[in-house]
Amino acid sequence: MSRAGRQTIANAGRRLDPALKLADAVARRMVWVGGALLLAAATTVSVDVVVRKAFRISLGGADELSGYAFAIAVAWALPFALLQRANIRIDALYSRLPARIAAILDVVALIALASFVSVLTRYAWEVVFGSWGLNAHSNSELSVPLWIPQGLWFLGLALFLLTVLILTTRTVLALVSGDLTLVRALAGARGIQEESAEEAAYSRTIGRDTGLP
Amino acid sequence: MILVALVLLLAFMALAIPVAASLGVLGLTLEHVYSPLPLVRAIGEVTWSASTDFLLVSVPLFILLGEILLRSGFAERMYGALVHWVSWLPGGLMHSNVAACALFAATSGSSVATAATVGTVAMPESRRFGYNERLFLGTLAAGGTLGILIPPSINMIIYAVLTNSSVPQLYLAGILPGMALVAIFMATIVAICLIRPDWGGRALQTDWGRRIFGLVHLLPPLGIFMLVVGSIYAGIATPTEAASLGVLGALALAAISGRLSLSMLREAFEGTMRSTAMLMLIVMAAYFLNFVISAIGLTTQLTNFIQELGLPKPAMLLAVIVFYVALGCVMETLSMMITTIPIIAPVMFALGFDPVWFGILVILLIETALVTPPVGINLFVVQNLRRGGSLNDVIVGTAPFVVALFVMILLLSLVPDIALWLPRQFQ
Repeated sequence: MSRAGRQTIANAGRRLDPALKLADAVARRMVWVGGALLLAAATTVSVDVVVRKAFRISLGGADELSGYAFAIAVAWALPFALLQRANIRIDALYSRLPARIAAILDVVALIALASFVSVLTRYAWEVVFGSWGLNAHSNSELSVPLWIPQGLWFLGLALFLLTVLILTTRTVLALVSGDLTLVRALAGARGIQEESAEEAAYSRTIGRDTGLP
Repeated sequence: MILVALVLLLAFMALAIPVAASLGVLGLTLEHVYSPLPLVRAIGEVTWSASTDFLLVSVPLFILLGEILLRSGFAERMYGALVHWVSWLPGGLMHSNVAACALFAATSGSSVATAATVGTVAMPESRRFGYNERLFLGTLAAGGTLGILIPPSINMIIYAVLTNSSVPQLYLAGILPGMALVAIFMATIVAICLIRPDWGGRALQTDWGRRIFGLVHLLPPLGIFMLVVGSIYAGIATPTEAASLGVLGALALAAISGRLSLSMLREAFEGTMRSTAMLMLIVMAAYFLNFVISAIGLTTQLTNFIQELGLPKPAMLLAVIVFYVALGCVMETLSMMITTIPIIAPVMFALGFDPVWFGILVILLIETALVTPPVGINLFVVQNLRRGGSLNDVIVGTAPFVVALFVMILLLSLVPDIALWLPRQFQ
């Protein structure tokens, strides 16, 4: 491809950057909501256990609600995990390949992910739509209208699909314009090196004073 | 059919396609080619039911518990207290490394977190007391693996979900092998330091006053252990309920030591949800794949194929051990479990192996995978705690403990009661 052609594509790619930036900000807030939901679930379940043991009253439904909280929290955390490149990939071979081939594999990985997630999201919609149409309620004392938790769960999956598509397009444009560094930054496998460095870096934030002479 | 599926799966993974996408795309392909029915329509229901599984809720809770504990800052004082109890042995502080890992493991369900936490605290002491650095690093990488053997354990929950076995039973079964492994690790250190006394570092002066006084620092981890694992053993709480209690307990601990803040919580949420989301995406894809391969009869074919080999029990066991040791060298451990256990475990159960015992064996094999190059994550975690030097030092230093793990695997195979005796007492 000509140099001018590459330049045009690189420019087209840069036009997507605001979208990616927005996705990142949204994803981060979604993950906080997910974490808070999880903490709320932990609190509800704990209260349920204590009340059950201490007063022999079952509030009931804590397990069901925490199941919904979990499903929603996970779906809402998927975009963040993707943008953090937290996908688990087997990099035994990948890490030994030349940069150009690794970059092509990064794009292939995203396309494979996009095709799986699009099928998943499509049929997740059928689940919500089915529950809505049948006016399905959960088979428990709470009798939750299922479309509500399923709808929130679907919303997470749909935003995940959208994020995958934006990221895939951006990465393909970066690859075609020949910017291998950018491909790696957008979609490269984190690799065991980077993963463990992070684990170590953050455990350094804890104290070290063992009190030994 | 088996061959096609296997070749595709290996090809996808070798090409570094995300594990979740590999499993999902394989499921879609197999469905498209081999199934007369549109199985794909079930993918929504399958993932929704996997996503709301009450037992699986405990996984992010245990991860969150670990993230909070790590930041609550009790590990340093716990380590300092343990030193006074075990450092008279030949090998000194290296025994405190193993003991601190074991104790931290009793509050944490992750091996990486255990190695990282204890490693951070211990590493500076190695230089001050003049230890052989390689061996010192080895005790941290290997000691860290205790995280998933001594309950609580995230990997045991995944195993329980995949094989429909009981988490409380697995948690009981892990205790004695955990203690035995600690003993074998310590014996390894003593043996090496008797041969090479100069590797054992400068001795530390201590007295009974310090030992007794230090015990107070062991209370936080023991408290969390009682809350989380004790409540399961006592039959008060299910694993998910216990994990919930543990999260609140850890928050209280962090609040007492003045480390609880909004930014700390936010970091803990991000770390927890990032790992959970990717793990659950793999679980969703794996559930769909398993649904497809059992519907098209591949599971039966595979089971029949293995049974027709007619291998005697010990040979089959050996084959499985070799398989996991080899795979563990190149594959991330949780995805290894999720992809292989649904196929291998039923075959082993059909041959008459006990599900709980096999679970502990799998955990020991996973521990081995965590410290075998090229992708043993614990080796890298410990390496990253150093200021420099080659990864080779960690690999060499850990090698004696890999042998120790093999001894433990052999022991468990010869004497299954090491794992099964304790669960029987509670029945």
